[in-house]
Amino acid sequence: MFIYTREAHPAEDVQHHDSFARKLAGATLLRDETGISRDILVDDLAGTVHRAYGMMPNMTWVIGRGGRVAYKANWTSAANVEAFLIRFLAARAKHPPETTAVMYETQQVEFRYADRKRFTERLLRNGPRATAEFAKAQQLWADRPPS
Amino acid sequence: MGRAREGDGATAYNYPRFDDYVADGGDLADEAAFWASPRPGQRAPDFALHGLPDSGQVRLSDLWRSQPLVMEFGSFT
Repeated sequence: MFIYTREAHPAEDVQHHDSFARKLAGATLLRDETGISRDILVDDLAGTVHRAYGMMPNMTWVIGRGGRVAYKANWTSAANVEAFLIRFLAARAKHPPETTAVMYETQQVEFRYADRKRFTERLLRNGPRATAEFAKAQQLWADRPPS
Repeated sequence: MGRAREGDGATAYNYPRFDDYVADGGDLADEAAFWASPRPGQRAPDFALHGLPDSGQVRLSDLWRSQPLVMEFGSFT
């Protein structure tokens, strides 16, 4: 399931949402131009669902059967989600005899591989302003004191 | 689905310029919001959303009732 949020890098050709009609048009553009085959759900104009789940531009959550959070990642890695699902479903389906499955949590750093060339092409698709604004943002990030 | 009235609380959320969003610390606030959101093991917030193209309102709890639900959040840009 894909949850369509606000536009992360709006520009001249793909604009920010100023109406729900424009948001629906953006979701349709996503479906038609990227060929995404999953079902798409569209959040409301104020981002109610996006706010409740934490506002990151490309995050993934897995909700277990019955409605408890099983996985949250502040960036999407399909390989990571798939690996988690295999472990999660196997752990619930079977465990060694005479044992019970007890839930615990982990937090760990993961790595993804950013394709800068493809990202730049995507920014250009949004409009020239998107590239210039991202360059300014990179300078702002460089000027921030280390956390 | 347009639950929120158009323009009501939505203007700041739908920022028009990414550099202004970063200059205002929006990215830092949003990262903090992610870590403040429900933890593994806690109940997931339930909402009804507009299904594309015109499948009406879809409730998340209807999707996770019988099997795990994977939700990727994102946009075109």
